[in-house]
Parts: sequence; structure tokens; C-alpha cells
Amino acid sequence: MNVAVLSESPADEAALRFLVGAVLGRPPRLVAPGFRARGWPNVAQVLPAVIRHLHFNTDAQLLAVVVDADDSVVHGRSHDTPGYFHPHCRMCQLRAVFRQTNKKIARSPRPHASAGGVLRGVGVAVPAVEGWYLCGRDDSVTESAWVAGQESGYRPYSRAELKLRVYGTDRPSLPLQIECALREIERHRRDTRRLEYDFPGFAALADDVRAAGRNQSEGRLAP
Amino acid sequence: MIASVAFRKFKALRKTQVALLPFNLVIGPNGSGKTSLIESLLRLRTLAPLPQATARRDKSAPEGPQITFKFEPPHDALTALISCTSEEVCNLLEIHPPEAADWPALRTRLALIRGYVLDHSVMGAPAKREDGASLASDGHNLAAVLARMSTAAPDEFSALTAHLLRIMPEFHSLELVTHPDGRVEFGLRLAEDGLLTAAELSQGMLYLLAILTLAFDPAPPPLLCIEEVDRGIHPRTLREIRDALYRLSYPKSFGLQRAPVQIVATTHSPYLIDQFREHPEEIVISQKHGRAARFERLSDRADLPELLREGSLGDMWFSGILGGVPDEP
Repeated sequence: MNVAVLSESPADEAALRFLVGAVLGRPPRLVAPGFRARGWPNVAQVLPAVIRHLHFNTDAQLLAVVVDADDSVVHGRSHDTPGYFHPHCRMCQLRAVFRQTNKKIARSPRPHASAGGVLRGVGVAVPAVEGWYLCGRDDSVTESAWVAGQESGYRPYSRAELKLRVYGTDRPSLPLQIECALREIERHRRDTRRLEYDFPGFAALADDVRAAGRNQSEGRLAP
Repeated sequence: MIASVAFRKFKALRKTQVALLPFNLVIGPNGSGKTSLIESLLRLRTLAPLPQATARRDKSAPEGPQITFKFEPPHDALTALISCTSEEVCNLLEIHPPEAADWPALRTRLALIRGYVLDHSVMGAPAKREDGASLASDGHNLAAVLARMSTAAPDEFSALTAHLLRIMPEFHSLELVTHPDGRVEFGLRLAEDGLLTAAELSQGMLYLLAILTLAFDPAPPPLLCIEEVDRGIHPRTLREIRDALYRLSYPKSFGLQRAPVQIVATTHSPYLIDQFREHPEEIVISQKHGRAARFERLSDRADLPELLREGSLGDMWFSGILGGVPDEP
């Protein structure tokens, strides 16, 4: 499967590439270069242009996007009700961008017609991608713990604390960040169920990736 | 090393002060005092090794320009004051208390302060090997510094080379060539073979190499000032520039045991500013009103967390929300 990645840093990109491969059960063919955004809301701002570019100029079949939730509203089951859209939920916002952009370009023929459309792969790391890295190592770090903290007004940890736990410093170098990210997510190479259970924001991405994989295996996408 | 600098009537800095952290990124419009801050630190460096002036300020004269420095422990009882004896001569350094026992130790360190306005047009030139003790303020002896590092500090040279080649994977090695006249020149060998001499390297490559040379300096200065630290660097590579500077200012985060280097750097790049989202306290904004300017720490803004939810630091700065933008007619 031809996969493009949109992320906030080279470290996020390395982790995202690995995780997409872990969900698919095989390494994807990656569209280079990796697309980069300068944090939220820049991701949502550049996303339509990235989708258009992929649609008209590449044979990408899936665009995987992961953003940090930071202090935004966390995507819940109620948000998945048909027609529902929470304006402060980043998952809802990114999905809406995908929906609207694909709707606009659907009538334009794609040069790489066999690739089908550019399918959506959206994940939101709550509150930051370092939470995913700690999954399976630190039981206190889960999406539900963060949501409970939001509701009670007592946050179980801060983003800075998560970074410190993962990198051992609040100012990690880029190579250290990549090394730690890849070392931590290695736990999920063969089985991502724990990560999906603890972090529904990752499960949403995994569902999108699997759906794209099914499309491909059923012959709706070029291999 | 330096805890704070206070200004009175010094160019655009009419009445303001700034507390300095280990790392400080100063932003603001042209003519807002960023360079004046660096100039004040370099003036302190120049005056500190000299014998203390015997002249005293004429206290009956109108108040002239004055710069006051306070220091981090163990020198926190000391104050250094640079003021003017006349309108033309602004080089009177006073130390309070005058007989402070720790002044000799402090002045020795102050004399090591370095300031950089790197110039790509001279950085690629061959240099005399013996001129490589420390990088000159414009970087013209970059080749000599690299040559000296390669022999005197091979571990640091190897680490620098590895770091550079990771960022620029199209290259295979950093090579040094000594000319018959004793001058040394550097070049980068391409992974696909072929050597690019320093003169053939891009401006950005030279700036990047100079910054990395400072970052991997085996004997860095206690305080480093760098003008336009992002100059010539691709926005995606600015993270590496930040890391290189953090390597100096926060050595423990990089597994190093040496003393931290205090850094004062300036930039006009929103993309570099974005790199400090996690540490907005390290950004100093120079606010210019008319011809007068004052310094503010970004972290002093109470609404900063809310602002950061709406956009990136660089965008916020460019938009004018954070201030530090030019006046418009």
C-alpha cells in the first residue's frame, strides 16, 4: 500500500511509519518526502493542500495524519454519531477536512486512477504522542486517565512530564527523540491491541488503516 | 553567568532590563535593541580585563547612557556598571563593591565571552592552521578551527562530523586539506564521490557547519552571542540548530558533564520561534514604541497557554498578537 504521512516532526513521522506498518502487518511503501506541519492548527490548514497534492500528483492510497490533542476536547463515542461534529475535537475537525476535500476533488479524474481516492488515516494522541510511547510501560498513562483528569480538573500528568518520562530530559535532541520513539513502540510491533485499548485516538487511526488495507485486498485499490 | 542586564538611555533601550536564562532567543523588529543587547555584553567583555577605571562619573552631569549587569551565583553580590564619562566616551566600567574578592575570577570569565555575526563570504576561505584556537566572530577561520579540533579533540570532531552527515546524508565525510603554504581548507565529500570544497559549498551549509563547530567546541566560552542564528538554514533544519544550541546551554540533557554555556541569540524567523513552543520562557521579545524599545519575556504573558491553543508561536508573533513587530504608518 502506498502511504503518505503528515506529522509535526521527524520523530513523529518515524513512529507513525512504524505504527502503520504494525497495523497493516507489512511495511507500507512510503510516499516521500514526509509532509510536515508546524503543530496545531497548521496541520488542519495544510491538510486540504496535502490531500489535493496526493490526489493529483502521486499514487498515494492512504494519508496517515497524527496530531497531539494537547488540551483540546478528546474524541468520544458520541462524536461518531452520523452527522455529529464537535468543533473543539481535533479528530472531528481532521475528519471533516478529509470529507470536504475529497468531496471537492472527487469529480476530478485522478491521474493514478488505479490507486482509488486518497483514504483517510487520522489519529489523535492524547494528550501527546509521548503517551503512546509509554503504553505498556507506564500503566498510569492512558487516554481515559487524561479524560478523567479533564473532567475532575486534576490532570494526572502534564505533557512536559510525559516527555521527561520518555526521554529523560525536557530538551531531547532529535536523534534521541527518534531513538526513544522507535524503542518504545517496538513493543507494539506484533500486536497493537493494547495501544488501541488504552488510546482510542490510536484505535481510530488503526481502524482507518485496516479499512484501507481491506479495500486493497478486496481489489478496490491497486496492490 | 549573567543574571540580568538593565539599560538606561543606551541607543533604543531607554529604560528597560532583561533577566537572562541559560538560553535566550531575542526577537523583535529592526532597530529594537536586539543587537544593542549583544553589543552591551561584548562591551563588558572588552572592558572587564582592563584595569578598573579611576575616573568617576560626574554626578552633577545629566544622566547619560548606562548599562548595569548582575551576575549568577557565586558572583551575585557583584554589580558591573558601564557608563559614559562624556557624550563621546562610553567606556567607564565600575564594579560594586569595588574591592570584591571574586572580581578577578569573574573578569577572567567575562573576557571569554564571544559574539558572532557569521559571514558566509569568508567562512569557506583557507585559513592559517595556527589561527584555529577559537572561531572568529565572522567565522573566517572555520577551516583552522576544524583542523585544530580534528587533532586536539578528535572525539568532538568525530561527533561533529557524524552530526553533520546525519543532517546532510548526501555527504560522506568532512575532509581537511593542507596547502603547501600551510593554510588549511575543508571540504565535504559527496556520498556518490566527488569533493565539494568549502568555496563550493552553499551558504546554508557553511552557516550550519559553523553553528555545529560552536556546538561541539571542546572548550566553549561561558557566554555566546549569535546574531541571526537561523541565517541560511532551511526551516525543517532549524530543529537541528535549536538542538545544537541546547547542547551548549543544557549539556546535562545531552549527557555532557561540562559547564553550561549561556546563549543570547537573535532571529527573525517564525519557524525558529516555533521550536520553542515547549519553552516559551526562553524567548525575549523586544517591543518597540517609536524610537524606544523594551524587553519582555514571552512567558510573562498570562494568556500564553490560551494563545498557543489557537496557533503556533511563530504565527502568533508574525500576527502581532505577541508584539515585537514593526510600527506601521
